[in-house]
Amino acid sequence: MGTVDVVKVPGAISPFRARATVVSRRMQDIGLQVFHNKTAMAGLIILLFFTFLAVAAPLIAPYSPLTAVPDVGPLTLPGGVHPFGTNQFGYDIYSQVIWGTQISLLVGVLAAGVASVIGTAVGLISGFVGGWIDEVIMRFNDVVLSIPWLVLMIVVAARLNYLDLAGIILVIGLTGWSVTARVVRSQVLSLKERMFVERGRMIGSSNAHILLRHIFPNAFPLIFANTILTVAISILSESVLAFLNLSVKSNVSWGRIIAEAYQHDALTIGMAAWIIVPGLCIVFLVFGFYLFGYALDEILNPRLRRR
Amino acid sequence: MPGDPSLSIIPRDPKFRGLRDYMISFFGLDRPQWEQFVIYLQRLFTLDWGVSYQDHRPVADILFHDLGWTLLLVGTSTIITILIGIAVGAYSAVRRGKAFDFVSTGIGIFLYGMPIFWLGLVLQSAFRKNSVFQTWIPGWPALPTSGYYDDRLIPWNWDIVHLADAGLHLLLPALTLSLGTLAGISLVMRNSLIDVMTEDFVTTARAKGLSPRQVLRRHILPNGLPPMVSLIALDIAFILGGAYQVEVIFRYQGIGFRTIEAIGSLDYPLLQFIIVIGGVAVVLANLLSDFLLLWLDPRIKIS
Repeated sequence: MGTVDVVKVPGAISPFRARATVVSRRMQDIGLQVFHNKTAMAGLIILLFFTFLAVAAPLIAPYSPLTAVPDVGPLTLPGGVHPFGTNQFGYDIYSQVIWGTQISLLVGVLAAGVASVIGTAVGLISGFVGGWIDEVIMRFNDVVLSIPWLVLMIVVAARLNYLDLAGIILVIGLTGWSVTARVVRSQVLSLKERMFVERGRMIGSSNAHILLRHIFPNAFPLIFANTILTVAISILSESVLAFLNLSVKSNVSWGRIIAEAYQHDALTIGMAAWIIVPGLCIVFLVFGFYLFGYALDEILNPRLRRR
Repeated sequence: MPGDPSLSIIPRDPKFRGLRDYMISFFGLDRPQWEQFVIYLQRLFTLDWGVSYQDHRPVADILFHDLGWTLLLVGTSTIITILIGIAVGAYSAVRRGKAFDFVSTGIGIFLYGMPIFWLGLVLQSAFRKNSVFQTWIPGWPALPTSGYYDDRLIPWNWDIVHLADAGLHLLLPALTLSLGTLAGISLVMRNSLIDVMTEDFVTTARAKGLSPRQVLRRHILPNGLPPMVSLIALDIAFILGGAYQVEVIFRYQGIGFRTIEAIGSLDYPLLQFIIVIGGVAVVLANLLSDFLLLWLDPRIKIS
């Protein structure tokens, strides 16, 4: 009396195993769809190429990005061992472009990570709690969205007071979460009305449990796709900041290479590659993230899939 | 921007110590930050917007002059962008999955990922005097690449010569800004229309025997346009960000150019008012879009 016998059903698996199976099947399913989606694959190939460039930079780049090359002086025209020439300090521009991949990717990915975490938290709370908290958060969000982002970034940079690599990542991340918060909030608002939330409530789940175990996992694919798009925007932001001389000084990024080329009139002195190549790198990397992000959005977003 | 603005106003010489202390207390830089903020808010509402540290002129005078040029630039390019963006978006939505859609979406995403300052640099070098293209292609035009109008025409006059020259100088900056923001609008337009096209009433309209053109103009566009209006209004902040870059590249001395200058010289009053103007512009754009929506979509009621 008083004890409950656990009946062993042959073939039954624990709820954890069941969950793991469902998740892994879903991942496989998504993976397969990505594989068969031309847009997603094109984006992925571009991303893999740049990731390879970033990781293997020490092996590929013939020179260090921030030391003068021994053989020729500054502002050498392209040719020979220096396919893009050398810059005003005599650094090899080709090596700089390869090393720049690291910073642009790193800043883009980490800043987007910061923005996504903040945006997701804000969106989840705002959408789930609702009421005056939602109202306050969303009005604050409107204010943030209404300030031109460039000025906003500059103000945040001033408040942080220092700009090393972590600083620039924080600046871009702290100013870039508004859109994510909106997207997540609207997704939460629709998920909140779904049947499984009501069921969860009926069996007495806490709010935190419903939010973290039911709503967040369902919103996650959308958040992930959104993060990929945010990476693209963060890379662009970094390049603009670098171009305006507001980014890190101790590292080479594509934006900074373009800024230096612009300051030294690269196009009039016959060093077009100095400006064109890093620019094209930004364009293609961002293009890759957009392609992959959009395709992923289409795969993961059931509303779009219906068509 | 971090730094002590008094250092950029007064020479770094011990004999100016007293002047420096006077300036710091004059501008209230020795007060706590929240107090400075409250003072600023109070002055903002009494239309006392401060004096520039650098120019020693009221910031409103400086910025309203700049604002005119920025509005000209942003206005021209926004109108061009909206017209072309909506046309391209609508056409690729109708021809979804066809070659035009594929190409325009591809180019759109490509342009979307292009840093505007870089696009400006490339266009500038392509169209300046003695550009590479001019030596290769006969008849390749050279366009003015900096300023509002030619220096030889100073001072400004409201006559045809000045207006034509200003228009010519506007061409490249406006083109850059339009190309940079076009994709955002055309892609959203395409998706918004495709959304509408899956609705049942579109099928009904087709079943009634309306021509594809009639279905598009009478049924799809009226339902697909309203969301665009609020999106374009939200885009204004982004377009302003683009305008900043364009102004720097083409030395088009509007608000954006002034901002970058103000950052360099730590001109806080100027910067503060620039942010105020930016915020006001976006709020105004949103308000305007709400009225426009009310007029476009009879279903929306003011609650």
